[in-house]
Amino acid sequence: MSSVMNALSYQHFPIYAIMVLFLGAFLIVVFGGNRTARNILALLSITASLAFILALVKPVMWDGEIIAYWMGGRVPAGGYAIGIALEVDALSLFFALLVSVAVFVSGVYSIQYMRHDDNEREYYTLFLMLGGGVMGLVLSGDLFNMFIMVEILTFAAVALTAFRNTAKGALEAAFKYLVVGSIGSTCILVGTSMLYAQAHTLNLAQLAQVIPGNLNTATKVAFALLFVGFGTKAFIVPFHPLAADAHGAAPASISVMISGVLTKSGIYGIIRLTYFLFQTMNLGTMQFLLVFIGSLSMFVCVTMALAQHDFKRLLAFHSISQIGYVLTAVGLCTALGVSAGLYHAMNHTLFKGLLFLAAGAVLHETGTTDLGKLGGLSKKMPYTTVLFLIGAFSISGIPPFNGFASKWMIYQATYQKAVESGNIGFLLVTIIALVTSVLTLASFVKVSQSVFFGQLPRELENVKEVPFGMRFAMAIFALLCVLTGLFPNLVTTYITEPAARAVFSVAQYIGAMGFDASGVAAETAVSFAHVGVWEPISWLLILCIALLSVTIVAVASKYDRVSQCSGEAVDSKYELFYGGEAQEFSQVGGGDLFWGFKHNWRGYFDVMHRLHSGVVNDYALWAVVDLALVLLFSLIVL
Amino acid sequence: MIMLNYIASFFLITLGLYTIVTKHNLVKTVIGLSIADYGVNLLLISIGFNPGGTAPIFTWSELNPASFFVDPIPQALTLTSIVIGACVTAMSLALVIKLEEQYGTTDTREIRRLHG
Repeated sequence: MSSVMNALSYQHFPIYAIMVLFLGAFLIVVFGGNRTARNILALLSITASLAFILALVKPVMWDGEIIAYWMGGRVPAGGYAIGIALEVDALSLFFALLVSVAVFVSGVYSIQYMRHDDNEREYYTLFLMLGGGVMGLVLSGDLFNMFIMVEILTFAAVALTAFRNTAKGALEAAFKYLVVGSIGSTCILVGTSMLYAQAHTLNLAQLAQVIPGNLNTATKVAFALLFVGFGTKAFIVPFHPLAADAHGAAPASISVMISGVLTKSGIYGIIRLTYFLFQTMNLGTMQFLLVFIGSLSMFVCVTMALAQHDFKRLLAFHSISQIGYVLTAVGLCTALGVSAGLYHAMNHTLFKGLLFLAAGAVLHETGTTDLGKLGGLSKKMPYTTVLFLIGAFSISGIPPFNGFASKWMIYQATYQKAVESGNIGFLLVTIIALVTSVLTLASFVKVSQSVFFGQLPRELENVKEVPFGMRFAMAIFALLCVLTGLFPNLVTTYITEPAARAVFSVAQYIGAMGFDASGVAAETAVSFAHVGVWEPISWLLILCIALLSVTIVAVASKYDRVSQCSGEAVDSKYELFYGGEAQEFSQVGGGDLFWGFKHNWRGYFDVMHRLHSGVVNDYALWAVVDLALVLLFSLIVL
Repeated sequence: MIMLNYIASFFLITLGLYTIVTKHNLVKTVIGLSIADYGVNLLLISIGFNPGGTAPIFTWSELNPASFFVDPIPQALTLTSIVIGACVTAMSLALVIKLEEQYGTTDTREIRRLHG
């Protein structure tokens, strides 16, 4: 009896949460020939996983307990971690919560969405492997275990990207993802082995105890390798083209997993690496690295999104743009910043999941995601339209939806950082974040106009609303989007702030595993106060700077090519806000609402278009260049 | 002596990356991945190697402070890494076959329907 009670203790729940997903995957291989059996098995395992994670919220998140779980009871011997460990603090649990919710909703959606595909059994197997991989990654307390999980999830994601292998570009996207993803995984493995050579342990807590005081060239190189490796998993610049390709080709339920879950695993890895293993985030230069890459991802991807003609590809670029917000906020290394970043990470999973599912619903009913071929679907698919609009409002940061709350916190955090550090560069980050948000809104105006409003093409006359199962899944996400937007204080108090506090509690993280944490600086007083941010003067200052920068841009663009070649007749379609009504035979389609804007920026877009060549060698080269730069950076800075 | 292993392993990793970046044939890209993988395996094995050490196979009673053996953990890691490497190769070759069927070429410069 006591052993049964022992097995039901919540100490075991992390491993159960991982195991049920993998177990479900294997059982579906064996018994999944029948559709009902398959659906029941898949639903059971995702529900069980969600339940186990939810049961951990109270002890870990609210009571602040850190679960240290040694597999097979192999506790450290002689001060060295021999066994494999799971370590669950509030940060791990936060990401596990995101994973389990996204896996649950995506699984529910899949049941209707994947009905018409062949090989459903293989789909669910891979799907659960992907979920289990990410779950294992975020709950693991062992660096090599993290690598294994990274490989599992990369493999499952690649296979699922190529799942509809007759779809346009599916194989191509999968191959590119596999090549660059493998480079990333190889980086993680080399970094892991170099850390092992230096510290003779693979346990995260023990590494965090040993490494920071003993930095040498090898550990610095390992840092760069691990950073780039987790970067490929988060698809931050320069790995964003892979995300776009993979999202566009994968089934929508898998896009939810890739954007909502896989990118988070990369972000999680980066947080563990910088805040815990190396504890370097108090360095201004390291903050610069994260904030720089984050801002770059934010801006580059949102502009790339504006130039897309494919619904899902456009969403994919937005997804990475939002990940840029998360990385920027996390890179600030302030309590408010980390809390804001995690809040946005959560919201990103919710609204991006909703948007991808809506795109999947459109694909399911119309058979296309080409923005030029869609239109007027609001009459045919009213529920999907409303749900999509909730997602679009959320991602564009319109109150009262959740995107507003987290973006507002990110603006505050960057601004506060600028005030505290006296570094004017962080103000620039605030402005980039604001501009990106505006461009996001612009691009979603375009999407909703060209997919759900406007004219209904004749081919789409017979389109119907999607089945209830798919609407139900979308409604869960939509409800969560609204709830987390309406009650931001509850969300921050009960979910993100405990997780953010865990980020700053490295000593507890090490101590919970039974290692000596006396060498690590104890937790500094973490304050989530919004210092000086509500002062009107500060906002007036920001407004002035923003106006100034807009003015500079406007003045500079006065000398652009349009006005120079005034010898030609000035065509109204080059204007900034062109509606297409002036000329009868205009070639600008309804999907191209911001044609004039793009025309004005055509120099930039030309360069970007050429850079995103689609050749796998180029993307591999980007990875190598990124690795070289980060390597150089870490050798100089650390 | 062991230094040579480290140099060789990083040479292999670099060679693998070089192959991936410069070669335009899909199969050669896969070969590049494998070469980089072998480099990593060599690195792992070298890290765990102790000159003069025996194989790390002991029963609990045989183990005493005088026993001198190579580090078993990197060996376990290498085994895992070899398995994963084989999977990468298998999966990427499967994709290459399918790509060749669909696109009629194995030139990476022509497999770019998704771009921009």
